[in-house]
Amino acid sequence: MNQFNSGPSINTYNKLSHWFDFSNPGILKVYSGKIDIGQHISSTLALIASKITEIKYDQIEIIKLSTDISPNEGITASSLSVANSGSAIKAASITLKINFINYALENLEIKNEDILFENGVIKDKNSNKTISYWDFAKTDDFRKIIIPENFDENSIKKINYENNQKIELKTINDIVTGKYKYVHDINFPKMLHARIVRPPSYHCKLIKINEDFKKRLVENDITLFVKGSFVAILSQDEFLVTKFLEIAKKNIFWEEKQQLSNENVFNSLEKHEKESLLVKSGGEAFYEEIPEKKSFDDPKIKSLSTIFKKSYLMHGPIGPSASCAIYKDNKFTIFSHSQSIFALKYSISKFFDIDPNLVSLKFMPGSGCYGHNGADDVAFEASVIAKEYPDRHILLKWTREDEHSWEPYGSASLNKVFGAINDYGEVIYWSNEAYSDTYLSRPSDLELTNFTSYKFLTNNFAKTKSKPKTSAHMGIHRNLDPIYNFKETRLVKNLVHDLPLRTSALRTLGAFANVTASESFLNDLASIKNIDPFDIRINHLDDERAIDVLNNLKEKMEIFKLKDDSFRGIAFSRYKNSAAYCAVGVELNVTDDLEINLNHAWITVDAGEIAYEDGIKAQVEGGFIQAASWALYEEVIFDSKEIISKDWDSYKIIGFDNIPVFTTSVIDHRGFPYLGVGEVVAGPTGAAISNALCNALGQRIKILPFTKDNITKELLN
Amino acid sequence: MNYLDCSFKINGNLKKISIIEDKTLIHVIRDELGLTGTKLGCGLEQCGSCAILIDGEKKLSCNLLAKDYQNCEITTIEGLENKDGLNNVQEAFREFNAAQCGYCTSGIIISITALFDKNKKPSSQEIQNALNGHLCRCGSHSVVLKAIDSLIEN
Repeated sequence: MNQFNSGPSINTYNKLSHWFDFSNPGILKVYSGKIDIGQHISSTLALIASKITEIKYDQIEIIKLSTDISPNEGITASSLSVANSGSAIKAASITLKINFINYALENLEIKNEDILFENGVIKDKNSNKTISYWDFAKTDDFRKIIIPENFDENSIKKINYENNQKIELKTINDIVTGKYKYVHDINFPKMLHARIVRPPSYHCKLIKINEDFKKRLVENDITLFVKGSFVAILSQDEFLVTKFLEIAKKNIFWEEKQQLSNENVFNSLEKHEKESLLVKSGGEAFYEEIPEKKSFDDPKIKSLSTIFKKSYLMHGPIGPSASCAIYKDNKFTIFSHSQSIFALKYSISKFFDIDPNLVSLKFMPGSGCYGHNGADDVAFEASVIAKEYPDRHILLKWTREDEHSWEPYGSASLNKVFGAINDYGEVIYWSNEAYSDTYLSRPSDLELTNFTSYKFLTNNFAKTKSKPKTSAHMGIHRNLDPIYNFKETRLVKNLVHDLPLRTSALRTLGAFANVTASESFLNDLASIKNIDPFDIRINHLDDERAIDVLNNLKEKMEIFKLKDDSFRGIAFSRYKNSAAYCAVGVELNVTDDLEINLNHAWITVDAGEIAYEDGIKAQVEGGFIQAASWALYEEVIFDSKEIISKDWDSYKIIGFDNIPVFTTSVIDHRGFPYLGVGEVVAGPTGAAISNALCNALGQRIKILPFTKDNITKELLN
Repeated sequence: MNYLDCSFKINGNLKKISIIEDKTLIHVIRDELGLTGTKLGCGLEQCGSCAILIDGEKKLSCNLLAKDYQNCEITTIEGLENKDGLNNVQEAFREFNAAQCGYCTSGIIISITALFDKNKKPSSQEIQNALNGHLCRCGSHSVVLKAIDSLIEN
């Protein structure tokens, strides 16, 4: 490593005051543009600052994101929180420390060897004179410092830090005592609780509200809010509003402008109008002619083709989305758990056609976030209602049914994979065509129609067409480009239009489907030539770090004896081919009733320098569990009229009864860039389970989820 | 709307309030008494996040009629601390950082507290039974199970 790069946030925010606030003696407050969405980013960032500044972790506070005071570091997504904000805070901490030491040496007129440095205070051994970060922060010198975009090796070497890892999460004490406040728990005087009365499906126009029902609302001091086909009810009593929501559903009538679909979604993915782009090595997509798929007549070359299918998946946070908004003095203040706080500020100001400075967004925690869920929608909806009732806080909560039925899902997808392997075990040709709806329909000031309620507010039910994203590994083609040095590849991204369900970013975007398909298929190619799954991968890799991760996984798995009647599978991926490396091993057994029990999971991850080891382990084990749930159980069911998967009975997720034993290893690369770990494990998890299941059944199951029904259908085929 | 004068024994305190007669217990706990550590996840008794203790037994509070529980000892997550601080389940969860977003955590702590109050050495099956019906979406299961295992070892 020759230098440390401060990351993209420092390009815009290069002053120490952008990141640090020393106004409270003994406390370092740190700004970040990233939010806690269950990944404990605030604890990791505090740990990074603590290790370098040598201020005790307990004396470091991360300031909750607010659009009024925080750096705009974009969306808290794409496994970039530590890579961006962590790198920025590390750079700011290094800059602070170097300049502080120089300032102290000069002002105390002492030599390096005479200083005692403890908890942010430098003391002269001889005179006992001291100077602290808090003193330094009041000086002009502090204010003038510019954080460099890069640090050379010598600068870094001057900064010694212990890689201490044992910390108490900033939030844990409040969580275990019930004191941790979510946006759902906000309470203001005279606050109105709101619920939206939803139609059966996306394309329904409001026709009529029963007059008797309206009278009952008035009698019970419940306010009815109607704008276009957007209907909400409000009351100061939350119970009352939930009670009348059920009554409202029977008294409000809709005209269905367009149905969902009864067609099998995998048929729709193949048949519907689509835009096809060629994805090249490096992962970018281009509007170029798609070459014909090759065929091979040489008997020494074996080829194989398969179609993998993945159903619609939902984010499904345990707590439905919520937001609190007030419109006062011509200004909005909105409390939200959105990943996209800054984008939301501009979207909402655009909708109301007001100066963005009149919209202030403040982060308040929500339930776990795994991508673009209902958080943006509910904040937008709360602001629409708040505008009509100035000076009162509106706390709008989605119901469980809202969350299950109205969130933007992870798209159903198809991967048509074809490959050829020669007598030497070299993969000489690899074709992967991905078919899917969009993974990127986040609302923005240019795409207000992406708010689910926009069409109801405007009564414009025309469907909008998504546009294919072309940058590297963006959306459908994330990790479509295999990391392996296959001789020739043909990679096609197909954005399919006019599919029935609303879709957007769900953890990993297309990578879960693409990696599950690719890593399953690679095993199938290897098995034609009886090549070991580790060998086929290592033989096609040049990157030493990738090879190390696989070798580490192999070593860890060999420690444990295979249990009777159990089967193993492995898989590997580097997220976006540029972020963290991850290899996963799974041991499972399949019951006579075709239930899959996960016995053991091995995860080896290389995320560059370890920012917080337990945090990385929690993220990858959590990611494994979620991806295992996708692979084994999850599928959004719908018919032409409505979403059927309205609750946890109709959308099964993994429970505590199928959690494997974990052996998780994190390889440290001290001094290397931080690589986020929020998503890297999902693809290899799907594929490792698929590969273990293939070994158990002696046949590849090509439809996710691996339910009894799907396995039975595949076995009968 | 009919209102009813009620009194509730909650976390060792007697609270007298007038409530809508069919108000559910979770809304009394959260809205009337301000104890927001109990979470509403589904309102369908499917996710476990609204678990509380009623006379020492774990119950899901999202669909219970509040008026029926006036003569019971109700304990929420806020009432688990004892004179020495956190109870042993809370302490184990704190020690192991056993939460991600934390939305499901109070319900799980309530269930495990109810389990260990009755049985200091529960079997794996008994632990599974206690966790049955508690959903976690972040995938904190493995750390939660480690925290629970530490209670048996200790």
